[in-house]
Amino acid sequence: MKKRESIVDYYYESMYPELKVLEQDRLIIVSKLKKAAFFLFGLAIIIYLLLHYHFYMMPFEALALSGMSTFMLFMFIYRHESAGYSMLFKDHVIEKIIHFLDPSLMYHKHRYLLENVYQKSELFLEQYDRYSGSDLVEGFIEGVGVQFCDLHVEKKYRTKNGKEEWKDIFSGLFFVADFNKHFQTNVVVLPDHAERILGVVCSWLQSMNIGRGKLIKLDDALFEKYFVVYGEDLIESRYILTHSLMEKIVQLRQKSGKNLYLSFVDSKIYIAIEYNKALFEPILWKSLLKFSYIKEYVELLSMMIGIVKHFKLDEKLWSKR
Amino acid sequence: MQTFFIVLGVVLLIVVFMYNSLISKTNQVENIFAGLDAVLKKRYDLIPNLIASVKEYMVHERETLEKITALRTQALQTNLHSHEKIALDKELSSMLGGLMVAVENYPTLKANENFLHLQGTLHEIEEQISAARRAYNQSVTDYNNAIEMFPSNVIAGFMKLRRKEVFNIPSQERQNVDVKNLFQK
Repeated sequence: MKKRESIVDYYYESMYPELKVLEQDRLIIVSKLKKAAFFLFGLAIIIYLLLHYHFYMMPFEALALSGMSTFMLFMFIYRHESAGYSMLFKDHVIEKIIHFLDPSLMYHKHRYLLENVYQKSELFLEQYDRYSGSDLVEGFIEGVGVQFCDLHVEKKYRTKNGKEEWKDIFSGLFFVADFNKHFQTNVVVLPDHAERILGVVCSWLQSMNIGRGKLIKLDDALFEKYFVVYGEDLIESRYILTHSLMEKIVQLRQKSGKNLYLSFVDSKIYIAIEYNKALFEPILWKSLLKFSYIKEYVELLSMMIGIVKHFKLDEKLWSKR
Repeated sequence: MQTFFIVLGVVLLIVVFMYNSLISKTNQVENIFAGLDAVLKKRYDLIPNLIASVKEYMVHERETLEKITALRTQALQTNLHSHEKIALDKELSSMLGGLMVAVENYPTLKANENFLHLQGTLHEIEEQISAARRAYNQSVTDYNNAIEMFPSNVIAGFMKLRRKEVFNIPSQERQNVDVKNLFQK
């Protein structure tokens, strides 16, 4: 991993000239959106007056209807205007950062991990109805095969009044890599929400989790505070989750500040980091010419690419060489 | 009278549940110990090859090598009790650890492909042993808690269950294992 200083240099030397051009596009789009917002605000007032005085609607209903319709219109214009910019942003910012961090990695802005990879991870057992994603990064880091992307998995359900809605099963970064040890059984590490609230009382409830393996109690208090582990073999689960690896998982959890899901299946490690937003999309209101804005993307990508070194996945045990 | 039978039934159910739970914990300890025994045996099987490949190089460590061989012979006896096996494993782990440190003084040995392979295999087995020890300790802790806590300690007393010994996890196992360092010296 290259040092931050050199990322700043790279930003100013290699990215800045292209970003200046892109910044012009952004300013044009922002200006168009401001104009649209101004126009739509006027339109909302006209609709409101019309609904209230001409059709005799209640003030609140008229306000809600005019506000909603113009807001939807604004979102349509926003999506239409920002779509092209978003693609250019990925080419000029995301791809550049990835190639700076590791030139051997491939980036595909429209692709994402195959569904069978997600299913094989056994991280989320819930049935899903929609599987989508973007920004697939793949390649070899220190000789370790790696893939990660932004993933969104949802389930359709009906509300009490029969309305159809979508619920997230997982939204965030999904990472898969070769693990440095051979193992036969599966281990799943999930965030432990219950233990933080209920304490040890919940361990009985956790052991009743149908669909998962046996509850594995581990000898690292901090790790146990954050996670609950299910495995098929009490010894092999500990062979995978060494003290050192547990420490590193806790560090990653603290660094990301997000819910972390991990599984070890078929000599691979799967990591899902929960985020509730599209991670590699641009924020139209932020200037590209400020490094502090670009830094957020650099840090996220560095964290993902750095997982191999952080977990020492490149230091393979003898039988995996 | 009816209340009496209901209370008696509930008490009987609790006793059966505690009895079964104690049996399951005892079996768990035995199962994991069997798993540990299996990986320990893997290490004992590796020792003759290791000794054979290092003895011509490590002339100054003859005494250590003889001790390791003697410990292995002792450990392979079938009539050993679990606490004796634990004590032997502890001693053998420390001797092997010392031997691997001493390897640093023999550059020709470190360059030997056969030795490197054995060292790598040994390291892998050590990781498996460490995992088995941790699993054993956890199952023994669950067992010890069950036989000492009220009210299951009463049933445990009738079943004549005794407290079991746990492994002391060596401090170096709690540190990060630097595999790269191990192989690239």
